[in-house]
Amino acid sequence: MQNVLSVEKIEKYYGNKDNITKAIDNISFKVNEGEFLGIMGPSGSGKTTLLNCISTIDNVTTGKIIINNKDITVLKAKALEEFRRDELGFIFQDFNLLDTLTAYENIALALTIQNRGLKEIDILIKDVAEKLDITEILNKYPFQMSGGQKQRVASARAIVTEPSLILADEPTGALDSKSSRLLLDSFEKLNKDFHSTILMVTHDSFTASYANRILFIKDGRIFNELIRGNDTRREFFNKIMEVVTLLGGDVGNVL
Amino acid sequence: MFSKIAINNVKRSFRDYSIYFLTLTLGVCIFYSFNSIESQNSILEMNKDADFMLTLNKLMAGTSVFVSFVLGGLIIYANKILIKKRKKELGIYMTLGMAKGKVSKILIFETLLIGVLSLLVGIVLGILVSQGLSVLVANILSVDLNKYKFIISISAIVKSVVYFGVIYLLVMIFNQFTISKYKLIDILNATKKNEVVKLKNSFLSALIFILSIAILAIAYARALKTGLAAENAELVITVLMGVIGTLLFFFSLSSFFIHIVQKIKRIYLKDINIFILRQINNKINTNFLSTTLICLMLSLTITLLFTAFDLKGTIDRNSAGSRAFDASAFLIADNENKDPKVNDIEEYLKDINFTFETYEKHTFYSEYKLNITIEDLLSKYLSKQEQIDLKQNYLDGAISAIKISDYNSIIKLNGKKAIDLKENEVLVVSNYGQLNNALPEYMKNEDIINIDDKVFTIKNESPIEENIKGTEGSKFFYLIIPDNFSGGLQLEFSSFNVIYEERYSKESEEKFAKLFTDFLADKYKDISPSLVIGKTKDQISDRENGMAAMIVFLGLFLGLIFIITSAAVMALQQLSDASDSLERYKSLKKIGVTDKLINKAILRQSLIYFLVPLGLAVIHSIVGICALRENFSFHYQSVIVSSLFLVVIYGAYFYATYVGVKNMVKNSN
Repeated sequence: MQNVLSVEKIEKYYGNKDNITKAIDNISFKVNEGEFLGIMGPSGSGKTTLLNCISTIDNVTTGKIIINNKDITVLKAKALEEFRRDELGFIFQDFNLLDTLTAYENIALALTIQNRGLKEIDILIKDVAEKLDITEILNKYPFQMSGGQKQRVASARAIVTEPSLILADEPTGALDSKSSRLLLDSFEKLNKDFHSTILMVTHDSFTASYANRILFIKDGRIFNELIRGNDTRREFFNKIMEVVTLLGGDVGNVL
Repeated sequence: MFSKIAINNVKRSFRDYSIYFLTLTLGVCIFYSFNSIESQNSILEMNKDADFMLTLNKLMAGTSVFVSFVLGGLIIYANKILIKKRKKELGIYMTLGMAKGKVSKILIFETLLIGVLSLLVGIVLGILVSQGLSVLVANILSVDLNKYKFIISISAIVKSVVYFGVIYLLVMIFNQFTISKYKLIDILNATKKNEVVKLKNSFLSALIFILSIAILAIAYARALKTGLAAENAELVITVLMGVIGTLLFFFSLSSFFIHIVQKIKRIYLKDINIFILRQINNKINTNFLSTTLICLMLSLTITLLFTAFDLKGTIDRNSAGSRAFDASAFLIADNENKDPKVNDIEEYLKDINFTFETYEKHTFYSEYKLNITIEDLLSKYLSKQEQIDLKQNYLDGAISAIKISDYNSIIKLNGKKAIDLKENEVLVVSNYGQLNNALPEYMKNEDIINIDDKVFTIKNESPIEENIKGTEGSKFFYLIIPDNFSGGLQLEFSSFNVIYEERYSKESEEKFAKLFTDFLADKYKDISPSLVIGKTKDQISDRENGMAAMIVFLGLFLGLIFIITSAAVMALQQLSDASDSLERYKSLKKIGVTDKLINKAILRQSLIYFLVPLGLAVIHSIVGICALRENFSFHYQSVIVSSLFLVVIYGAYFYATYVGVKNMVKNSN
């Protein structure tokens, strides 16, 4: 199995000489092609910083991030923009759909900025719409859709360019449980049937239980790692809950 | 403490304030420059003509009030947008427990600060600009500026301060009102409001668009056919059609446009054109009323600037053929009075002890009325509209006639050869050919004139276009009749013409100018009851130049204010829309759109937004100017000068907007 992402000993410091905060403190891991990796951790653990570094929005203090054999920490600003455009797909908690554009146009935008051919664009959009079951709402505006539909349109936009890596930041954060389940089902489908590589950051154990493997982060370090293997989702979910309790955090600290 | 917050606010949000400040400063600058006109050197030359100065002052005062209303509206609008933009900041002050009164105190101080600053800068700029204006005035009035003088008009400064002071006061009151209405929850949630995109039926929008084009086409056709000299009611209908057409055009334009572009996939699916299209669609849809208003204002401005600059040229050309004498005067005959002395200007001059110097070549002559009117003569060749035109300009009525011996002595003054006229011949002296084709047609097709049942042959084939006296009216029609003309004649004027000797022209001019001014003041009423009117060539051209100056001034004044107003409104709309769209730009960046593409999108949006109303306005004004063409004739100089004004000011606002939006988007994360 080929490595899509390889994070090597990255550190990220904030602050000045006298007062250093280590948001990421020596993290290394690898993601293989076709893997569905979840990253969990309480607030302030550094998971969003990690995602920002991988998605080239932020830069690391030391260490290497290699995506598809390219070290993105040494790329220039312009090359980074192109890299982000061509190799990465993003799914955000708040969808980031353009409210003035229809679903079709929102998805098309990701392709037009890559200067894809006219016929190709139409074929790719129809194709991805079918995969995510949003064909009926292609001509609707975001304000006419439900939250789940919006997130599926956003997902379609993220995968339509066939990126090497899909980065999802709390994708179910703004969804009700039914919509979450539907979205995660489609993630699972994308991962299993179309071999998309997904890296998902979440603090919700149920959402995380859809992943193949989970990294737990606390105070900027990897605290634990869980691999689903042949577990059912329920078993995997229970294992996750155990680690979360151990980890402390959201609920654990209060009890 | 509050003044400190206010000063810091102004400093920090200087970028937000820059368009506001630019508009205020330009407004003050133009206001000062035009109001300083009374103290301009060249105008002071004209000051001798008290009548002219009074008219000018009245007109300037009226225009200033109108302009201050326009600027007042603009400033309040700009201020409203600024406050809206800062809602969140004001909300934070309030959550911190600052009383509303204190928040409005900060705002008052800010307005005051910006106001005083813009007044100062504006007046200083205005003083500089008015020096240039002074040269322009001298040019228009054909006055030699032998001595350049730096002028500062105190009255104009006072006027600017008072007018703008009142406007700023209104802004402050308006701010108080807005603040007192605010609720904290609304202010803090201001940015979260969702925009509802209006959906439009594509068929309906296409229908309205085609309808608007049709209405505009009809309005254009009407304007071009009848010109702007048409009857009032007709003209009102044409203008109304133009306005409605424009309104419908902008109402349907974006929906129609977007449906067309969606069909052209090559453009639609390139870069982030999808996004640009939707942004523009949104804006023009919601702002179609103000876009219409701006377009109409720009049309008016372009037409105004063109005609104003061209008027002077037109007047110069008009006066070319009709100013053959240095001074002319006429006595209006009183046919009730049989005393020949009363109806003879020569006797009259003797009575008031006025004598001609030997070097003042002059001639006396009589003008008569015939028993035939211009309509009788030309009726066959005049259209109904042309008849109405003649009547409206008092160019109809009984034809004037001059006996050939008088005529010969008149043209001899100019060094021309006398003309022989047989007993049954007449000469036609007229420039009516400039008005319409009736006279040339008549002279081409018929060579006789029937007067009092007697047939006369017209001696000349085309009318002589040299006027026989210096008059203010630029159109004339005379028949030169034989000395022994036997038909009905009624003495109308007893007149004289003078030509000065080059060497003594200054003395002579002074002498005659004084004489004519005395006539106007009825100074010799006690000596003779006759009414005499006279004008020297200089007096006439001064009056005409004065009129040209007035129209050029007011045209420029209003034109500049209109350009600034429309450009500023558009710039402010763009900026406020951009701050509403910041989230969208952030989303674009997150999905990997490069900065270069985003800047391109901003440029295209601003360009389209500024050019669309201008484009239609240019077409409107081309039609308007063509319709005016019959009254004026245009040359390239005026095109260049007025385009320059438009391009510089409009361009500056466009650039400021583009940079402003770009920075706003750039600094948003």
